[in-house]
Amino acid sequence: MGRSWSSMDDFESFLDDGGIVEVDDEMPDAYRNAVFAFIEMHANSELMGGLTERDWIPRTPGLRHKMAVLAKTQDEIGHGHLLYMVAADMGLKTRREMLEDLFAGQSKFHNVFHYRAATWGDQVAISFLVDAAALASQQAVFKNCSYGPYRRILKRIISEEGFHMRMGEERMMLIAEGTDFQRAMFQQSLDNWWWPALQLFGPDSKPDDVLLRWHIKSERNEVLRARWVQKFAPLLISYGFTIPDPGLVHDAEADTWTAGPIDWEPLKRTLAMGGPDSARRIGEAAANWADTHWVREAMDTAPERSAGAPA
Amino acid sequence: MTALTGGVREFVLAFADDEHLMGQQHTEWIGIAPFLEEDLAFSSIGQDELGHAAALYAIVLGGGDSDEPVDDRQLDALAFDPDPLRWRSANLTEIRTDDWAHALVRHWLYDTAEQLRWELVADSSLPALAGAAARAEREEWFHRRHADGLLDVLLPAPDAGERLRAALADLLPVAVGLFDPVAGEVEAVAAGVTAAPFDTRMPEWIDRVRSRFDTDLPLSTRSPAGRTTRSDAFGPLLSRMREVLDLDPAATW
Repeated sequence: MGRSWSSMDDFESFLDDGGIVEVDDEMPDAYRNAVFAFIEMHANSELMGGLTERDWIPRTPGLRHKMAVLAKTQDEIGHGHLLYMVAADMGLKTRREMLEDLFAGQSKFHNVFHYRAATWGDQVAISFLVDAAALASQQAVFKNCSYGPYRRILKRIISEEGFHMRMGEERMMLIAEGTDFQRAMFQQSLDNWWWPALQLFGPDSKPDDVLLRWHIKSERNEVLRARWVQKFAPLLISYGFTIPDPGLVHDAEADTWTAGPIDWEPLKRTLAMGGPDSARRIGEAAANWADTHWVREAMDTAPERSAGAPA
Repeated sequence: MTALTGGVREFVLAFADDEHLMGQQHTEWIGIAPFLEEDLAFSSIGQDELGHAAALYAIVLGGGDSDEPVDDRQLDALAFDPDPLRWRSANLTEIRTDDWAHALVRHWLYDTAEQLRWELVADSSLPALAGAAARAEREEWFHRRHADGLLDVLLPAPDAGERLRAALADLLPVAVGLFDPVAGEVEAVAAGVTAAPFDTRMPEWIDRVRSRFDTDLPLSTRSPAGRTTRSDAFGPLLSRMREVLDLDPAATW
């Protein structure tokens, strides 16, 4: 048995002093529930992100390119695999329960994966814009994360996501320097994915956000969001693309870029499983899960068969 | 760089096509396998097979023994050739399946045959091919262990065993086509590129199939086409593989 704390104040003082919570500690239920929900959503998002990308992997234009894209998506599924284990160790749900809740539409995943990758350009936009947004969020969690098992897994995830973002950037640059068709395709993808990627950071953090107070998040949503706009708006404009935000403001003197007003309704719809591709995404995942039930059943009953076998 | 020609080219090209399409088929399973570990395993195996294909296509193009690498455009022009008449793939690798029993049984059948195929070129007169065989075998050992590990657990289970044996009955008549002699194989044997015709190893493969699946299914329905005909599945498969490439022939992705 690990450590325990006499009160929430005592626990929060421990966190404020840079304390790291481990899985066998007697952490307060509220902390356990909040951290578990955060990690479960992260795990679900890695898996659903992989499902969003998988549609295009067999169509990747190039043999070595396909190997790289497959490895990238394998990383994403692998992140989900690791995160589900970290979450399951918290004792609230098994991995299978988490997956079955996900496929039943009863647990959350990031807004961006409620959209469909309709073109190869979308695939590149995900790898560039969305992975960069996710990476920024993960880095902000890793920086000061109070839950030890999550922090350790994040170190690996962040390292791999950095490669993904650079791969996305490299492919975006090839497109930017490519044909009119390629540039038009990517502009359409930018139009489709700019806002969902920006909304991935969420609305401004509330003053009483427990994830900030308990040192899971280290930066406010609006700070991360503004930093992302500051990086990607000028970069994409420099490649000749147009940012689909008529309210985007460039302060030439300070060289800062600020997004216009954000419509949060699309984000709310995805949280209610009502995004543009939510029903198909969840429905197909659930159907695939059901189609392969016989494998899991055979695995589950293998010890019984083994026990009943002649010596 | 000196590209291969004649029968030797045909021989290596057929091997490359099989590896390419088998890897392609494995890419279809990421994210939808029965459990997460299988998503990861099929992805790894798919990457290995695509890597073998890239190495073999490079040998065809003459880059195998050269310090000058084959660039992606050259490689992809061969690997994604839009002309079906160019292809020498075995029909087993062309079939798309959405049934995991078929995917697993094909994985086992193909990789068991693949081991025998690499063994025949382990001492090839083409040093690059011998080198590729040595590298591939290190990976293939894991592929076979993966498939066998699953079959060890699944075949004794009543429902799973029935599904897998039904998949075997579907796939075996096609799988034997892996051993159909490629046009040019005689030349490849004479040149020492491969130690013997591939079908000389077929009895060993049949023994392994019968032992693994405890089956007496007939195994003699081979196609005389010599790898020159494509299955009905090939057209849709090639279209899928070329979908982005065909959007704009001038584009580099």
